[in-house]
Amino acid sequence: MSARADILGKLGTAAPPPGAAEALLADPVRPTVAGDLVETFLIALALPASGATYERIDTVADAPAAVARYLAGHSLPPAVFLPDDPGLAADWSGFTLSPAITPDEPAVIACARLGIAETGSLVFETAPHAPMLPNFLGLHHIVLLPAAAITAHLEDAALPGPQPRAQYWVTGVSGTTDIEGQYIRGAHGPRFLHVLVVGEM
Amino acid sequence: MSAAFAKRVDAALADPILKIAVERTAGTAEAKRAIAVDGFAHFEAARTRAAAIKDHVVAHLGYYLEQFEAAATAAGAHVHYARTADEACEIVIGICKAAGARTVARSKSMMGEEIGLPHALAEAGIGRVETDLAEHIIQLADERPSHIVWPAMHKTSEQVSALFKQHHAQPHTEETIPAMAESARRHLRSGMLGADVGISGANFLVADSGAVCTVTNEGNAELSLVPPRTHIVTAGIEKLVPSMGHAVQLLRLLARSATGATLTQYTTFYTGPKRAADPDGPDAMHIVLIDNGRSTMRDEGLAEMLRCIRCGACMNHCVVFRQIGGHAYGGTYPGPMGAVLTPALDGLAASRDLPNACTLNGKCQEVCPVKIPLPTLLRGWREKSWREGLEPATMRQGILGWAWVAQRPRLYRLAVRAAIFGMRRFGRGWIRTLPMASGWTAHRDLPAPDSESFMSRYARGER
Repeated sequence: MSARADILGKLGTAAPPPGAAEALLADPVRPTVAGDLVETFLIALALPASGATYERIDTVADAPAAVARYLAGHSLPPAVFLPDDPGLAADWSGFTLSPAITPDEPAVIACARLGIAETGSLVFETAPHAPMLPNFLGLHHIVLLPAAAITAHLEDAALPGPQPRAQYWVTGVSGTTDIEGQYIRGAHGPRFLHVLVVGEM
Repeated sequence: MSAAFAKRVDAALADPILKIAVERTAGTAEAKRAIAVDGFAHFEAARTRAAAIKDHVVAHLGYYLEQFEAAATAAGAHVHYARTADEACEIVIGICKAAGARTVARSKSMMGEEIGLPHALAEAGIGRVETDLAEHIIQLADERPSHIVWPAMHKTSEQVSALFKQHHAQPHTEETIPAMAESARRHLRSGMLGADVGISGANFLVADSGAVCTVTNEGNAELSLVPPRTHIVTAGIEKLVPSMGHAVQLLRLLARSATGATLTQYTTFYTGPKRAADPDGPDAMHIVLIDNGRSTMRDEGLAEMLRCIRCGACMNHCVVFRQIGGHAYGGTYPGPMGAVLTPALDGLAASRDLPNACTLNGKCQEVCPVKIPLPTLLRGWREKSWREGLEPATMRQGILGWAWVAQRPRLYRLAVRAAIFGMRRFGRGWIRTLPMASGWTAHRDLPAPDSESFMSRYARGER
């Protein structure tokens, strides 16, 4: 007998009673998110555990200037990896753009679909215009997030219908406590996360 | 106690560094968890819900496996089933060979350890790059994980420094932990980007979408699973959840219980290989669903153990683990959850010491995010070991003898008086050595009994 038939035979494949799984989703047990969503999100984002920074800007057109200020603040030249994402359409002519991602890319820009106020998480999906690897290779991860896209809970991240190859939630910077329990930022991924919250000032 | 287990425990207790190292990691984790739990007003209700979600899945595992398989297949993934660890390794090695793999990048997975994947890859001549920092350290040291969340917690920074200087092309020059982490970052980058196959475990398998969820705080899973042409997942069948909404409720508890975070830094749901127009991602995704004793555990009284989400809180809070660390347990999984799992995975005859190496103080059950009754399950193994006659003759005779006396109250009281008299000859307050009690007194003093037993004081009218 095949391993599949063996395992499924042993376990049985009868369906659970209708509604049983849904009942376990009803009234989810989760932290309360009260007050302004954007404010709550920004507070979570700036907690030491997350270690991110942010700036609020009016429109995407303001992003290049904000990115230039951020890079200058870190004594970095105006050079970035910029994916071909329509959410990032602005005048980036003042920047040196990497034609392809490199293993030690200093700064990477990306556009998040959602922000989660509960945890300060950013939600991304893979798509033809949204590569995944750059968001883990860069040392400085600079993310544009529309203020209107900030939502209360992690449950809100679920996408209906066919899924992309990957949906990934980023909560702060890459970290490790693997050597003597000491917290180190930038284990493999970004050491810095800077969020530009666009609109709704 | 078996000689092998006693030897491992003796070595652990005699190690002057180990105790400090375990305290550093487990103590920090304990403190951080406490803060996280205080910050989540509904933590207790969340535990009850989480246990209910896992129980629901475990009761309908076959149904959710079929649903997951159909959804993952529709998304373009290949789903395989493995009854045993050997079958699982064979499947993984087969896929690696078919892909012409010379090296694989591995993202830390306890399932990989459980099935012996590092060994199987070595036997097949396939290079292995462990990308989690702790797994990288123990790969260089050629050791096994000592904790399910912090596999290298037994290593000091001095030991890590020496390993990196020996193995890294451009090691750190400054003797600081940040400099060591930077050295590993430099060293592992090419291994991750140049691997032919990326192998991960799964924290959750989402039945309705066919997604595989991984959780890391370093981002090494993503760096290991995006560049290679092939992504292989090895996952226990108990990792299923009906939907992302169910996974989310467990993720909240997993992060708080393991590291004290509200959510681990990187939580990723992978559904099938890259889509045609995607700029990156693997061309093929294989998911190996592994039973390895789980269906038997479900049917033979260990269904509650299948709730486990591998957070490590039980070991961080265990008084025995805090003394002896992880290696002394001798199995893939240490601590209380390991003491329940190892007899199921490796057989009770070889591991009957583990359920006995427990004080039954109940702390593990108290902190378990999915309310596994670990002390009850450990007692179950003790009873089974007794029924199957696995206890050594001296132990059986001793317990039977004690039971015989205990059922005769006058004789028992007489024996207690004699024992008090005898023991107090060896010390008042603390006893440093006692005949037939060297197992205790070799490592610590034994408190001397009071001059009178409780029963005689009670009989005298003392209340």
